[in-house]
Amino acid sequence: MAGIQERGAADLRLGRARARPRRAVALYPYLSILPTLLVVALISVYPLLFALDLSVHRNILTEPLAHPFVGLRNFAETFGSYYFVRALLTTLRFTAMIIAGTLAYGIAVSLFLNRPGRLAGASRIAILIPWAIPTVMAAIIWRWIFNGNYGALNALLVSIGVLPEYISWLGNPLLAQLSLVLTHIWKWGPLAAIMCLATLQVIPRDLYEAAYIDGGGGWAVFRFVTLPFLRPTILLLLILETIAGFVTFDLIYVLTGGGPADATTMLAWFAYAEIFRFLNLGKGAAIAFVIGALTLGLALIYVRLLRTEELYS
Amino acid sequence: MNRVAASGAGLILLAFLLGPILWLVSSSLQLDRELFTVPPHFIPKQPTFDNYRYIITRVPPATYTGDQIGRRASGEALSLIPALRNSFIVSIAVMLINVIFSTLAAYTYARLRFRGRDITYAFILTSRLIPAISVAIPIFVLIDRLGLLDTRSALILVYVAFTLPFTMWFLMKYFGFFPPEIEEAAMIDGSSRLGTLTRIVVPMAAPGLAAAAAFAFMGSYSEFLFGLFLTRTMASKTVPVVLVATAINHDVSFALSFAALVLSIIPPVLFALVFRSYITRGFAGVLAR
Repeated sequence: MAGIQERGAADLRLGRARARPRRAVALYPYLSILPTLLVVALISVYPLLFALDLSVHRNILTEPLAHPFVGLRNFAETFGSYYFVRALLTTLRFTAMIIAGTLAYGIAVSLFLNRPGRLAGASRIAILIPWAIPTVMAAIIWRWIFNGNYGALNALLVSIGVLPEYISWLGNPLLAQLSLVLTHIWKWGPLAAIMCLATLQVIPRDLYEAAYIDGGGGWAVFRFVTLPFLRPTILLLLILETIAGFVTFDLIYVLTGGGPADATTMLAWFAYAEIFRFLNLGKGAAIAFVIGALTLGLALIYVRLLRTEELYS
Repeated sequence: MNRVAASGAGLILLAFLLGPILWLVSSSLQLDRELFTVPPHFIPKQPTFDNYRYIITRVPPATYTGDQIGRRASGEALSLIPALRNSFIVSIAVMLINVIFSTLAAYTYARLRFRGRDITYAFILTSRLIPAISVAIPIFVLIDRLGLLDTRSALILVYVAFTLPFTMWFLMKYFGFFPPEIEEAAMIDGSSRLGTLTRIVVPMAAPGLAAAAAFAFMGSYSEFLFGLFLTRTMASKTVPVVLVATAINHDVSFALSFAALVLSIIPPVLFALVFRSYITRGFAGVLAR
């Protein structure tokens, strides 16, 4: 009896489901993505078009009434500028260093974190702390560590005899660049390690056992078992770090202000300086547009790579 | 790798991860007088909470006299408490709006086929690749035209837009791992799509939603560039803006700004440690396929 009643109720509900207005069902997907779509369009796509418009006009804040159309002149001046080329080269060098550093750190540290034991367990918690600390705050901490007169790094290196005397870390062009790289790795290496660790944890144990039984040494096992599993994660990190390199701004703002001289002036900082120091909106927008195009282009190439990777694996 | 080498490597790693923070905490427990000694005191000789007391009560402690902070005190470090309030209001609002919007959109992309699906999806994801600096001027103008300069609403709007693509992508992957049969059964029983999402999928996906919420919160709490552009006064200045202003100003008491820094990294670090298992499980879920 109860069974029949239940079935009846189910039929009724089924009936209601069929009676649901078709239009509501057809509209649901659009309504559900609408809020996201609108916010994204308003805050990223509309501004991008606006930036394009700015970049083809002369627009200097100290000359507020003259905004003639100048076509691609802002772009031409940008590409032809000695300072732009220098900023581009510095950005490429910095990006190459953080990619290499962060990937090496991420892989090596994740292999350690994946081990049993208390030390690895404590490190799995500690690794989250630099990741949780906002970039500018990490930069302030390292600015104090690198301080030439009272900083911890000089004190440490002199006391263990690595350095004969205190040096100015942020006052030397090469050291200033390396300081930025080190700070970046301290802050972002942990994310790479967490992502690699998440990937390592799904590699089946049998694969390692089989590899050892087949006589594989540590390196061979890493090369033929671990690395293939890490490949997609490594590619993802490659994308993230490339973008990070091209848009690095917070670290420069806090640590070096683009100096000494222009040793750490990279593209994002260059655009910022053009806009806020020289009040040249048109040229600033052109540089910013070039950064956007470079980042987007590189990211799309990587995504294509990632896709073929997925096809073959 | 033998055990001794592994332990050595582990200790070096821990020192690298935590050393800078311990040095910061130690510095925040000293006064400028002690801070500017060579060699530095890694462990304070005269530890004091006066810097913290000053920030919280805004009453200069007795130790801050003469050659001390008197001249070097900074209004900005003292604005930390209102800045923390702004940062919290903004980050929590972004977190809530973000989770609602991204859940709705992610579930649709994970389960439904409809006309325009691929193009809108690509549109949302690609927007994440546009660097903030590239759209900084136009966003400034837009916010100005909307009359929202120097308001928390402006920051909330911009941060929601910048955090949405990632959380949506993350949740879409996450929802995709659930077998669709349970939801189909609910739909046959007469549940609508929205009903199925709120009553069945959301409870199942709670860890993923927690991770997404954590990403949105931390992304907003950390943001600096737009905070710098879009704020003018303490009506909307956030923690990173206030802290950076003190850190690069040589007239500011170092000790005071380090105490402010310690106070302001406590919330995100606690957040990360509390949500630790969700964050790592979330990554594992999304990356490991």
